Amino acid sequence: MSKDILKIEEEKTVDFEFDLIRRNDKLAEENRRIFLENGVRAFDIMGSVGSGKTSLIENIVKILNGKYSIAVINGDLATTIDAERISKYGVKVIQINTGKECHLDANIVKKAIEKIDLKSIDVLFIENVGNLICPSDFKLGVEKRVVVVSVTEGERVIIKHPLTFLEADIIVVNKIDLAEIMGVDVKKIVKDAKSINPKVEVVETSCKTGLGIDEVIKCLEL
Amino acid sequence: MHEYYVTKQIVDFLLEEAKKHNARKVSEVHLVIGKLACLGIEQIKFYYEMLTEGTIMEGSRLHIEEEEVEVECENCGYKGEIKHKNMDLYHFLLPVLSCPRCGKEVKIVKGRECNIKSMKVVV
Repeated sequence: MSKDILKIEEEKTVDFEFDLIRRNDKLAEENRRIFLENGVRAFDIMGSVGSGKTSLIENIVKILNGKYSIAVINGDLATTIDAERISKYGVKVIQINTGKECHLDANIVKKAIEKIDLKSIDVLFIENVGNLICPSDFKLGVEKRVVVVSVTEGERVIIKHPLTFLEADIIVVNKIDLAEIMGVDVKKIVKDAKSINPKVEVVETSCKTGLGIDEVIKCLEL
Repeated sequence: MHEYYVTKQIVDFLLEEAKKHNARKVSEVHLVIGKLACLGIEQIKFYYEMLTEGTIMEGSRLHIEEEEVEVECENCGYKGEIKHKNMDLYHFLLPVLSCPRCGKEVKIVKGRECNIKSMKVVV
């Protein structure tokens, strides 16, 4: 005798508490703890492609090399061009090639700092991938977030990309030596920055002439 | 811009969880995405469809709830919605980090998340 078996599909709900951004935040907190334990002061340098992130780091390193032991992490999609530029100054440089990713995240930074003897380092600059959008979602665990913008990006660059600037500690307005030629009013850029983020410090620089670099160093409290 | 990367992580996570629950099929997925996260909902939907193709998640319904932003002011104790500046010229509401009550700076406490809330599976 054959039996008819009725198969009943059962549906069930599975709940999670899994947040991708918070997971990165947690890793960032871990990085922060590692930096603190090792006496390392770390800074995230963000900004568009060509805004002057590497130039800013070069200028700061030129002045502070000797006073501090400095390391630099360079994030780029490909090549070691930036790493080579910085390593001229005799500081430790780690190049991260993200391949396709448009930002650095806390996990990739954690892997990079494992390659550095943190005990021998006082200051760490992390140059993010050139991008004004994505890095804002991914904290790295640094002391201050710096965003570099340049006058060649146009007067309204800040309000066009508000999220990255909302959580910045320092905004560097670079290439001000070109402002006149570009017909850009630097005051407008500064005003936009302050209007969305009242606590942010804004510094005008020219990485070409070295103007304003001292002020940036002061804001970094170095 | 990083929607592909984020969606891939979401799909990988869910496929792994579905396996743990011996699911034959995933029928529904619920996500919560903060309005201040740099994530485009349309792009996530597009990549979701693409990345679930040929898996037990193919054809599942994706629900995305957008989470409002909440800020906190240490100065006056305000807790609530973020202030917006109306940029008439650009037809855009710009979020600003100053307190709507006292004008001092505020801290973002909600609105940055990308949370996988739940999934419905057929076992």
